[in-house]
Amino acid sequence: MDFLQNLFTLAFLATLIRSTAPLLLAALGGLYSERSGIVNIALEGIIIFGALAGAVITERVEGSLGALAPWIGWLGGAAVGGLVAWIHGVISIKYRADQIISGTAVNLLALGVPPVLLGALYNSATDSKRVENALPLWGFGDVLRFSPPVFFAFLMVAVTWYVLYRTPYGLRIRATGEHPQASASMGVNVRRVRYGAVVISGLLAGTAGVFLSIGNLDAFTRNISAGQGFIALAALIFGQWRPLGVLGATLLFGFLRALSIQLGGAQVLPPSLVEALPYLITILALVFTGRAAAPRAVGKPFDG
Amino acid sequence: MTPARAGFRTMTLVTLLEHRPSRQAANISLVFAVLAAVGLFLFPYATVGRGFGGASTLLLFPGRTLDLTGFPPQVLPAFGPTLAFGWAALAALAATAVAAVTRARWLWLAGLVTLALGVLAAVTFETATAAVVRDLVAGGTPLRRIPQANGAANLGIFTVMLAGLVTTLAGISGFPAWYARLNRLRAALVPLVAIALAVVIGAVVVLVIQPVPSSTPAVGAAAWYGKIDLVWFVYTTLFAPLADLGDFFQALTLATPLIFAGLAVAFAFRAGLFNIGAPGQIAAGAILAMLVGVYLPVPGVLHAVLTVIAAALGGALWGAIPGFLKARFGSSEVINTIMLNYIASAIFIFLISSNTFPVFGRTFNLPFKPQGVNEAVSQELRPDARLAQIPQLLGLQAGQPGFVPLAPLAALVVFAAVYAFLARNRRRLLIALGAAVLTLPLTWTWLGVRVNTSFNLAGSTLNLAFLIALAAVVFFAVFLWRTSGGYALRAVGLSPKAAEYGGINVARSTVLAMTIAGAFAGLASTHYLMGGALAGQYRLTQNLPYQNVGFDGITVALMGQSTPAGVVAAAVLFGTIDTGGLYVDQQLDAINKDIVTVLKALIVLFIAAGGFLPKRITNPPPAVLLPNLARSSAENRETLGNKAENTSAQAGEGPPATEANDPRNDGRDA
Repeated sequence: MDFLQNLFTLAFLATLIRSTAPLLLAALGGLYSERSGIVNIALEGIIIFGALAGAVITERVEGSLGALAPWIGWLGGAAVGGLVAWIHGVISIKYRADQIISGTAVNLLALGVPPVLLGALYNSATDSKRVENALPLWGFGDVLRFSPPVFFAFLMVAVTWYVLYRTPYGLRIRATGEHPQASASMGVNVRRVRYGAVVISGLLAGTAGVFLSIGNLDAFTRNISAGQGFIALAALIFGQWRPLGVLGATLLFGFLRALSIQLGGAQVLPPSLVEALPYLITILALVFTGRAAAPRAVGKPFDG
Repeated sequence: MTPARAGFRTMTLVTLLEHRPSRQAANISLVFAVLAAVGLFLFPYATVGRGFGGASTLLLFPGRTLDLTGFPPQVLPAFGPTLAFGWAALAALAATAVAAVTRARWLWLAGLVTLALGVLAAVTFETATAAVVRDLVAGGTPLRRIPQANGAANLGIFTVMLAGLVTTLAGISGFPAWYARLNRLRAALVPLVAIALAVVIGAVVVLVIQPVPSSTPAVGAAAWYGKIDLVWFVYTTLFAPLADLGDFFQALTLATPLIFAGLAVAFAFRAGLFNIGAPGQIAAGAILAMLVGVYLPVPGVLHAVLTVIAAALGGALWGAIPGFLKARFGSSEVINTIMLNYIASAIFIFLISSNTFPVFGRTFNLPFKPQGVNEAVSQELRPDARLAQIPQLLGLQAGQPGFVPLAPLAALVVFAAVYAFLARNRRRLLIALGAAVLTLPLTWTWLGVRVNTSFNLAGSTLNLAFLIALAAVVFFAVFLWRTSGGYALRAVGLSPKAAEYGGINVARSTVLAMTIAGAFAGLASTHYLMGGALAGQYRLTQNLPYQNVGFDGITVALMGQSTPAGVVAAAVLFGTIDTGGLYVDQQLDAINKDIVTVLKALIVLFIAAGGFLPKRITNPPPAVLLPNLARSSAENRETLGNKAENTSAQAGEGPPATEANDPRNDGRDA
């Protein structure tokens, strides 16, 4: 079993953590949105917008700001993610659109906008210009070094748990997702709570994108997300819409992802099939739980 | 029912009885008339000539020319008649405004005259331009060196035509019979408004990222006209494939898989399900079609038939899985179809990426990828399993004169005419179909266009999958609206609980809907594998665009409002602008073809928001109101008067006041 020895090394651990972080950020974002009652299948698109904005803003400001630039890029990427999520929110909260259709529209926008913008800025339909100053790597040793969004992602699990279960705002989010009419009758402004939750989901998913473009790489490339937004969605369901469940699910899916990266050369399983495992697991999870664990009012526009 | 809705109904009724356009309709035509009148002066009137790269020489309305190319054309066409029609149109627009303000009954006439004048202006300009081009060609100048060849009407004339059309429709909406007809088209309102909004935002995007093509930097008025012309140029280029047979064939080629994918999404929509799984279903169909098409030893045309069936089966299987999971376990079909997309994609890549695969150190063989090929492809389909190319069937060869029969178009017209004419006949569908089929052989040999076959046309990969797509559209329509299974399915879509109460097996309908939806998507793979639409490759290839096509299916279904004709129209529209996008890419440096993707996404976004229209506009008043009006307005006027009294009398008591306005009560109350 020498391939197992090749597999479970420090390098594999690092790959695992790096694969988990963006999934975790996006899934936690989805958690806020869906617990408030708004389905967010736009996560994939928001990640792409965040990645694009992070790379482009960093590249534009690094001439004058130097090492500070990626941090501005992070802020910008998160803000753009929040903005895109806010558009999804306006369409689905104010105009009471089907949230799936609205989210699909955002995902389609994320296919079209990057090439148009990159073509205008860099005369290339697929890549942005490489940034000189990517986010720094923190950590110890040669291998276990990660960019700040990774630490931020794991920190956000605790923060999300605290916000959701220990603050009045979290209670309101959960209430509007379970029974908006009841929470409205208790004086909660359902729409405002939902707008807030959707924008938070955009900030987090945007950060996931920033990690992909200037944390993990140093430029935006086409297909940078490659469906991670949908894996995050799957992790959210597999984690039963709970912060710790989401952490477990993203670690599992991150493990499978790291496995398929590591298996590129190894002779264990075909990597393309290993990559598909998270999706299969999610389908099975849905079979066994049905919609029992989902927030009850998720996907339904609030008319009150 | 809300009071606002009731008020709207009453108002509609009163307006219709007067045979005058409603206040709103009149206001809309007033806005368009003012816009067109202003646009005559502020938008370029016509394009005198345009070189490669988009720089143009423009004709502005009062008769000035503006050159942005740096090489103004030596010979100008005669502008006289065109400008005269422009002045006449201005007068007609003024008349429209007067009619709109006074809500005159002749508003439609003013609109029709405006429309006609706009068309005349455009036609006279094109005729004059064509004369100039003919002379130049006769003088020995090669066609591509003549910028006037691209001369045509510009936004100024177009807004006049648009205002004329809108005013005509607004005017005739005052007549009950026409109101009923227009009311039936109300479903098209949201997509049309969504397209209009997307076009406006797309224009802003174009202006932000693309500088005006001009020899010298344009300033002042020139910059303004240049910007408007740039937007006009981009959109006309997107739609240019409609004017060239070769490009139109290319548009239909791109539209074929979109029709399948659109049907797949629309069919599920009709059953109240959201099928995001078209990409996976296309991939699954492709895999099964490949297995049958490459490996099944069957002779002759039977092989092609079996391969088509295999494609449908593969898609159907991939659609049935989420349908079953939804019916049995209640798990969301949205999530499951997304997950299955990635699983199908993984299997697809797995099958063709390598000849061997490892399992825990042992190596197994895969037979699908041919030996000694580097790219990820499968073996080619046997020749028997392939579908013929339509240009070859028509005997079109590059550079040779050819004949493109318009018989299918004639059959379509006959079908529509017979279907509309026999409005009261219960068998009208069958009769119309029979008439259409009969039309085909009768018109095939003589009705058509003679073309000098261009390389584009002869090389088009439009294939018989296009006809399969049209057959699928017919099946979609007949199944949903002419069979009990389709009825059950639509009932489930409208209200699952009511359907169940009515004795419909909801679980079975759900599985059936997803299975058939998947089969539609699976058939899209015939276009690529059997039709060789992807650069003549009759096999699975890594760049088979199932992802994009499947997602575009959602857009097509939404645009087409899940109706058969709507899906075809939306698919052809997208095929057209996809083709036109390539020309935009070639001609302008800063804009690439992905502007089309942005436009599509915006359209979906705005359709999701209902075009930002209020519900009372998008939801038609109940049809039961309308026949009564058409039959006898006098009687209605009387009843309405009585109702109004009843309403005030009963307001304090039980029944809601609005019910009194409902003509359904006529019989009982009288």
